[in-house]
Amino acid sequence: MSKRVLCKFYSHGACLKGENCEFSHDWKDPANNVCTFYQKGVCSYGSRCRYEHVKVSRSQPCATSSSAVTLQYSGSFPATNSSRNAASGGTPVADTNRELLASSRSFFPANNPAWNEISVLPQSLDDIYTRESGTANPAELVMCSFAAAGNCPRGEKCPHIHGDLCPTCGKHCLHPSRLEEREEHAKMCQKRKNHLEALKRSQEIECCVCLERVLSKPTAAERKFGLLSECDHPFCVSCIRNWRSSSPISGMDVNSALRACPICRKLSYFVIPSVIWYATKEEKQEIVDSYKIKLRSIDCKHFDFGEGSCPFGTSCFYKHAYRDGRLEEVDLRHLGAEDGVTVIAKDIRLSDFLNSLRLSTYVLYIKYYGLITPAIAASALHTSSVGDYLFTAQLQYQVAYLVGYVMERIMCLGRKTNFIKYAAAECDFFIRFK
Amino acid sequence: MVDIARVQKELQECNKDKDSSGISVKLKGGNTLTHLVGSIPGPVATPYEGGTFIIDIVIPDGYPFEPPKMQFVTRVWHPNISSQSGAICLDILKKEWSPALTIKTALLSIQALLSAPEPDDPQDAVVAQQYLKDYRTFASTARYWTEAYAKSSSVGIEEKVQRLVEMGFPEGMVRDALNAVGGDENAALEKLCS
Repeated sequence: MSKRVLCKFYSHGACLKGENCEFSHDWKDPANNVCTFYQKGVCSYGSRCRYEHVKVSRSQPCATSSSAVTLQYSGSFPATNSSRNAASGGTPVADTNRELLASSRSFFPANNPAWNEISVLPQSLDDIYTRESGTANPAELVMCSFAAAGNCPRGEKCPHIHGDLCPTCGKHCLHPSRLEEREEHAKMCQKRKNHLEALKRSQEIECCVCLERVLSKPTAAERKFGLLSECDHPFCVSCIRNWRSSSPISGMDVNSALRACPICRKLSYFVIPSVIWYATKEEKQEIVDSYKIKLRSIDCKHFDFGEGSCPFGTSCFYKHAYRDGRLEEVDLRHLGAEDGVTVIAKDIRLSDFLNSLRLSTYVLYIKYYGLITPAIAASALHTSSVGDYLFTAQLQYQVAYLVGYVMERIMCLGRKTNFIKYAAAECDFFIRFK
Repeated sequence: MVDIARVQKELQECNKDKDSSGISVKLKGGNTLTHLVGSIPGPVATPYEGGTFIIDIVIPDGYPFEPPKMQFVTRVWHPNISSQSGAICLDILKKEWSPALTIKTALLSIQALLSAPEPDDPQDAVVAQQYLKDYRTFASTARYWTEAYAKSSSVGIEEKVQRLVEMGFPEGMVRDALNAVGGDENAALEKLCS
């Protein structure tokens, strides 16, 4: 019951005070939608202002503003007097009233007309102020929002406390006794300042592909840098992505041309979009890390909750999780090669064997022998000299067996479309258990 | 889709220091930005010194992600340039292209190619053979070609003027047209007819 007016920061989704806030964080409570600037006679937003433009005049304050306010009077004022808890809740109301009061005074300086409430208000207000100043806990004191925003028109006479000067943003917005809040503000302020400075620096930077300033491009989506992981040349993200995804013209090597930086030709494996350009290695690392963390939270569309297969495997930046939330467990198969080097086995496909073995000759053999048994295919392989320098005899036999076996199965099934998938599965099975 | 803004910017940039670099790029008739004419001075201390070489530039749809198509209009005697068609054998115009390169840098590379031929990777086998076996003859032929084709007061231009005049155009207009298109006879004819 104590918090009556909806916090306007909370309603915009950004109240920093959290539990400490004097205003209500309950959507059911009415918002104080009166524009204080308008009441002082200057609201630069005019008709576009998101707050209500209620004029303080002889008749209207009673009609409009008090219609919003009177509701609160009846409930909050008795409560203010009775419980300490309510004091903080009462303040916003009082604040509004004071606002009205101050401005109406300027309108009618000398003798106030017979506005009944006015005679009541100062008293109750004074009540609250005396309570407030005499309160035991200084952390619960309300800070003046005008001072926090830069300048309080009431200066020394302001009933609220004025915060200490923040060295970064130059506003009196540091609460004298809420230490946590001070620290948080200082941190946020510094961060914001750094961001602004970086943004200012980034304005001048041109993309080397379109030769335009990246942050002056027409659409918001284009106003982003594309950072290359291995070098520090600036491009817009659309330009560098276009270049990397353009189809290679004849003789062009994908790795040395398309995936390389257009300027220094250093190979980079990925591009990081960023709104600001960095000045130091640490800043770059920060951008890269936050980008990776963001991607980590997005489900990989190739992995498709375990139903698909992602070509990037363990190097994928996206999340590989099953539907039940369990993360993918990768068991890398390490194969020891003959020369002592360990390699990580990838998914093996029959097409790889076909390519590397120049198996067309073998397939011809197998065809020639009429695909009778795997054994015949194997003997065919043994007699071939091409295979000798590629595989050991044992592996040759395996491949031959596999080719024969797979061909046999395919002949039986007659399903050519599934050839590669089926063959890959067979290979996998075969290699794992042999 | 050609990046019009980039081509325009490149043109401005290139013509800004045309006096110091000697390299200029102009529109080739009409108002399309996809067909340009560039001209480079022959590098000093080479057989090409003193000549002005005209290069026909076609901007492909994929520019700047595809290299511009460049070809000599002026006839050149050079191992890496076809003496017949003017085709240029230069890696950055093919597989070594990068979008950070511009028309101007490509023209500069061509100028560098003129001063440093690569006879081991020839475009014109006859010229390359001559370059390797008989450099003296090569140099004198190259110099003669430069004199004959790459100088605006050369016989080449006069022949073109004569031919166009014979087609029935007034000589003044023919000279203006040839100057405007950088000495390309066909382009001048097009201009005269339009």
